[in-house]
Amino acid sequence: MKQRQPPKLARKLFEWYCGQAKVNDLLGDLDEWFYLNQKNKSALAAKWLYWKQVLSLVFSYAVRRRKQQAKVSDFASSSFSVAILNNYFKIAARNLYKHKYFSIVNAVGLAIGMSVSLLLITLYVHVCTFDNFHAQKENIYRVITSHRTVDREWELALSPFSIAERLNSELVGIEKTVRINSSFSADVVSGNLNIPLQGYYTEPSFLQVFNYPLISGNPLSALQKPNSILLTETAARKLFNTTDVLGRTFEVTGQGNFEVAGVLLDPPKNSHMVFEALVSHSTLPPAEQTYSGDFKDWTEFGRQYVYVRVKDESATAGLEKYLAELSGEASKRAEAKIDFRLQALTDINPGRDLVAGLGQQWDTTGLIIFGVICLLILLPACFNYANISIARALKRSKEIGLRKTMGGLKNQIFFQFITETVVITLISLLGALIIFYFIRAEFQSMMVSGSMLDLSLTWKVSWAFFIFAMFTGLLAGFFPAMHFAGLNPIQALKSQGGKRSSKNRIRKGLTVFQFSLSLCFIIALILFSRQYQYTLNFDFGFQREGIVDVQLQDVKPEQFRNEFSKLASVSKMSMASHILGVSMTSAQVRSVDKNDSLDVAHIFIDQQYLDIFKLKLLAGKNFPNEIWQREKYIIVNEEFVKDFQLGTPTEAIGKLFSIGGKDVEIIGVMQNFNYRRISQKIGRFLFRMNPEEFVVANLNVNFLDTYGSLAQMESVWKTLEPEKKFEARFFDDEIRESYDFYETLLKLVGFLGLLALSISLLGLLGMVVYTSETKIKEVGIRKVMGASTPSIILLLSKDYLKLMLWATLFAIPVSTLVANNFLAAMQHYHVTLSFWDILLSLAILLGLGLATIASQTFKTASTNPAETLRAE
Amino acid sequence: MKTYLGEFEELVLLTVASLGEEAYGVSIQQDIETRCKRTISIGALHSTITRLEEKGFLKSWLGGATQERGGRSKRYYEITQAGKKAVAESKNMRDELWSLSKVKLSLK
Repeated sequence: MKQRQPPKLARKLFEWYCGQAKVNDLLGDLDEWFYLNQKNKSALAAKWLYWKQVLSLVFSYAVRRRKQQAKVSDFASSSFSVAILNNYFKIAARNLYKHKYFSIVNAVGLAIGMSVSLLLITLYVHVCTFDNFHAQKENIYRVITSHRTVDREWELALSPFSIAERLNSELVGIEKTVRINSSFSADVVSGNLNIPLQGYYTEPSFLQVFNYPLISGNPLSALQKPNSILLTETAARKLFNTTDVLGRTFEVTGQGNFEVAGVLLDPPKNSHMVFEALVSHSTLPPAEQTYSGDFKDWTEFGRQYVYVRVKDESATAGLEKYLAELSGEASKRAEAKIDFRLQALTDINPGRDLVAGLGQQWDTTGLIIFGVICLLILLPACFNYANISIARALKRSKEIGLRKTMGGLKNQIFFQFITETVVITLISLLGALIIFYFIRAEFQSMMVSGSMLDLSLTWKVSWAFFIFAMFTGLLAGFFPAMHFAGLNPIQALKSQGGKRSSKNRIRKGLTVFQFSLSLCFIIALILFSRQYQYTLNFDFGFQREGIVDVQLQDVKPEQFRNEFSKLASVSKMSMASHILGVSMTSAQVRSVDKNDSLDVAHIFIDQQYLDIFKLKLLAGKNFPNEIWQREKYIIVNEEFVKDFQLGTPTEAIGKLFSIGGKDVEIIGVMQNFNYRRISQKIGRFLFRMNPEEFVVANLNVNFLDTYGSLAQMESVWKTLEPEKKFEARFFDDEIRESYDFYETLLKLVGFLGLLALSISLLGLLGMVVYTSETKIKEVGIRKVMGASTPSIILLLSKDYLKLMLWATLFAIPVSTLVANNFLAAMQHYHVTLSFWDILLSLAILLGLGLATIASQTFKTASTNPAETLRAE
Repeated sequence: MKTYLGEFEELVLLTVASLGEEAYGVSIQQDIETRCKRTISIGALHSTITRLEEKGFLKSWLGGATQERGGRSKRYYEITQAGKKAVAESKNMRDELWSLSKVKLSLK
């Protein structure tokens, strides 16, 4: 009988499946069975049985177990000891020290990447401690309102006082309600200075529900009587230079005399309520104090806040049910869908983004956006670390090969490299802290309520930093550690280091991503700065230069006009209710003919206004120069004519409208101009005339000596109103200030861009240094064979140039798309990204990148080959 | 119970013991198949052997390649002291139950 071979495919399958596992004996057994079966059975049956046995083994525990064992060296021990951890630290320290250059590049990169995140962590830790000092914080709730009409929806932190009244009288389980009206704002007359004072109107229960202790005064009676006031320590010092002020009185402009009923400790920085003074609720005008049964109580509740303290958790269900009933009642009266809900005190910060929040408000969405930005900065830094570490794996591969041969388990190697990364991130943490100290102040000045933030380093924050550094270490070290752990010991010892193109591709991808990000930041920076310039030079359609705005305060307009027109430097003067281009008011305007009404923005002005601001009339005329008795006329803009479908400007003249019950007639139609910020399109607008509304005088000035003229004005002011400060501003300064937002944005984008760019340049530097180092012998040989320095520089830089070009290809479409859409959504009048912007950003990026590359490649290319090749 | 021996595990242990120095994969399987008149799968047998090795009842070494095996060596198995104890315990328990049986179990 002919000796047949067992089926090859089956054996191949088995061998492939078992891989490195030791299964020689099993293969022998299989062969022996095949030989035996061949003797007794047909060849086909023997083959069939061989297949069956192979499959049986493949699915057996025996092979699975052998495969597991094959992964581990015979010396392996999975036990863990402190000694080994010590060893890891020692090896890490030695390695970092040995490769100082790379350690510094890595540490600096990670430090930059972590710095912004430290800011976020401090901010978050602070925001989480908000209102944790109240004794029964878990039982305190705020009633908030969602208000929906057909076309608009508001989530308000406000709720009507009527709720508090109803809760007190109709519901059990409520311990206390607190009504707060946030509108107290006063000018305290003190000597010839006015000291501003800001605070809340509230009732005695405020001091029982919240934990704001009194230094002096009786908490039970302090907020009872009308015109009694509680001052914080700081406010007391501001007004009287002492905190011993119980019983003293002071005068508030327009609001009479107040008596100090007590002094409070300053509210802590983590209090969402921010006040200098608490004024008794009974001081409020009666109409604002209480529930009158009028439907207005349910619809007009600006600046009214209601806080509730319940007995315990169980009372909230009843409270919520009751609020739902009230919501129904309110919806009926207000012709809108109104929902009253509870918001736990501790959910206020960080919490939802509510309109008209009381005091400090930190909404979750904002924090999340900040977090994403932090990640965008942190991740590239981690990529860098991973990139450089994996690239340099070759140098470490002998060590790893040896460790594995001596029984190092995969997870032990992994742990070793993670330890190393954590060590370096902890070092970077120190660097990040230094950067953090520098940017903290700037950050606080950028935020609206930044000065109230407590961003100091507490134990809690330090712990958070430490944990964050560990986490960053894990993030940055994960891929390199996986790479090292997965090295094949034989290849590693041969110094072949597992050259796999897929990893190379990932590395290249990461570099491309980084440069794309940097390029996007540069483009954004250029775009924003152009938008800023564009805004400042924007043709608003009115005169901006040579106008000084003076706040009238309590001076009568006529008196002001008489005195100031005597000044030589003042050529013309007008009065208005708002500052053009910055602020305005609005009201419903009803067309008498057509009986439809629209919301229209407007400003009250006088006859000289159009002349001073050089506004052009298309038809009709200016307000008549007669003694004002009542409102008769309006001047509208082109949009107004269009929206009310009045035909041509000339046809619009004489049309009748009604504003707030007053009948007015269009006397003039003016050309469109940007009466509000250029982020919004020009809409319908009109001028009204009513001297009672004037708050600001616009002086057309012709200054030869700015300082002298202003001093002159101030002395005239002193004769009119000796007690108030003279407040004059240049009109174009006021316009510029209203666009401060751009400057902040510019700073922010610039700073983030700088971080992103420096991180990618550091990464590039690391990679270039590494390639130059490894290719130093190749360069030597090439030079000996006659290669020129430029050709070698090109050789070494070529790959990186390619990556940067790839990055450009990705970044340009993305940034063009995002920039144009984002700007268009944010700003109605905006610049568009031009070819030159892109070219400039590209030049910056490539310039910096090339400088980085060249700094290293030039050094390598110009070394004397005799030096590098001597050792061979 | 100190150790648990499954029926098949006990069978394999005893077969290894009965084969003495000639206990390797193929011989164990042949012996069990002829003695018990049942076919067993090679995977199940080796899985059981592996488990017994893990429990420390069997030990193994490599040796003795033959032509039929394509020159691959055999893995020989031997019962360890712990293995002997385990089968002995199992036997003792059975003997005890046999002796205590109130029913006549012997079929002769």
